[in-house]
Amino acid sequence: MPLHKYPPRIWNTLKLTQGIYARLPQHYLRSLQETRPPTPVHWKPIGVKYRISPKTGARERVQDTPIPIYYPPESQKGLWGGEGWVSGFRYANNDKLSTRVRKCWKPQLFVRELYSEILDHKFSITVTSRTLDLIDAAYGFDFYILKTPKEDLNSKLGMDLKRAMLLRLARRDTELYPDDPVRREQVYSRYKKFEIPVEEAEWVGLSLEEAVEKQRLLEHKEPTPQFIDHMDKLVQELTVQRLSEPQVVQK
Amino acid sequence: MWCSSRYALEGLVREFSRVTLCPVQKFSQTACKNTVIVERWWQVPLSKEGSPPRLHPRRHRVYKLVEDTKHLTKEKMELILTQTVPKLGGRGDMVRVRKSVGRNKLLPQGLAVYASPENKEMFEEERRKIQEGKAEGSIQTRTGEMTLKYLKSCHFEVGMKNNVKYELTSEIVRRQFLTRLGVFVPPHALKLPDEPITRWGEYWCEVTVNGLETVRIPMHVVNYEKPRTQKLKKRLQNQEQVEEEEEEKEEEGQRPRTEEPAKDGP
Repeated sequence: MPLHKYPPRIWNTLKLTQGIYARLPQHYLRSLQETRPPTPVHWKPIGVKYRISPKTGARERVQDTPIPIYYPPESQKGLWGGEGWVSGFRYANNDKLSTRVRKCWKPQLFVRELYSEILDHKFSITVTSRTLDLIDAAYGFDFYILKTPKEDLNSKLGMDLKRAMLLRLARRDTELYPDDPVRREQVYSRYKKFEIPVEEAEWVGLSLEEAVEKQRLLEHKEPTPQFIDHMDKLVQELTVQRLSEPQVVQK
Repeated sequence: MWCSSRYALEGLVREFSRVTLCPVQKFSQTACKNTVIVERWWQVPLSKEGSPPRLHPRRHRVYKLVEDTKHLTKEKMELILTQTVPKLGGRGDMVRVRKSVGRNKLLPQGLAVYASPENKEMFEEERRKIQEGKAEGSIQTRTGEMTLKYLKSCHFEVGMKNNVKYELTSEIVRRQFLTRLGVFVPPHALKLPDEPITRWGEYWCEVTVNGLETVRIPMHVVNYEKPRTQKLKKRLQNQEQVEEEEEEKEEEGQRPRTEEPAKDGP
């Protein structure tokens, strides 16, 4: 016998269809719902649906089974490049008949100074060596932040940086390199393909709570005192009364 | 009471390390790993298509370490230099350096940029312009500077025969540059004095490197000697030297002998 009208696992999606959640901008809601599985980091995907079995030589169906990874809260404050804690067990002496031992593999973290061209600022960020490799592969820190999708970036800091960069690009303000217009133009033209309108850029990477708060502040209006309402009403009534009265014209 | 003091201290130290960036290391029983790649010990049974596989709560959390990327062969990174860097190259050169060098030195100091397709195209265009000689305010390349330095310090001789009437032409000088100094000089880069050279003596010639900088090189026009005669002369010289040395030795050997009896005399 069901305990709830709707199963608890769809509550979060249901919640988005009503109230202030429904009034959030469409592009933001879409970005929340469109999620794809992140790039495998700690395991090797097979990548094919069928393969020839090494034992029997017959064709068999195979399946990728992702390994659950725990992303600790610290990972949101750094750029771990999709790495996280792999916690589980291992067998002692790498022997299946031996005892099972608890094991947690954690990434090695470094603090590195990373320079952003668009923001013209140096950030000291906790990174892993995988992140540094990814930055090199993307030809620069800004390109890495802008190119990488949310699922792979997997950090609040990264998304905040992305929002800041996108806002800079959208507004094209002169704060960037105030005494070097040539370089400013160069930077803006280099990252032109990532440009999106300001209205969208403001919402990129906000968590649901932040987005709701933002929406609330946008909709918020100062309540008008009642006496003003009443006064307006009275004035209107009086004018109507005045107009309805027959005008006496004296000769 | 202070059972958790270690953690408190650790936390404090970590906070301070964030501020002062002093290298504080955490002690761990296992070696540091890069991205670990793990695998399940137990095979996961196939599920229906479209539905997630069913995992055993215990068995399917037992992992085997397959690979630790820390011990992969260290790849190098490709960069394009924007300035002359000693031992690496000059502006526009594509270099392959260790990642640490690139990340810690070349990129933050602005000595190099990533070899992205855009940057490659930009530097290729620049190189093409320099080759066409259209570039304005371009800088001498590293090899160009090295050539200049070499030309300034070298001794240049042109051998001409004494039994033939000759006039020193640009071709002859350029040939001599190639054979004696190993420098190829294109015809437009060499400038000889206006009056024709028909005698032995000392002259000047001017060489322009990359169409940017010009060096004046003293040119000695001397008698041409066949390599055979040169060798012969050298050998004779060597013999003379050896003989002289021997004579000196003999003289030195004789002197004490002559002095000894003189001492004995009185």
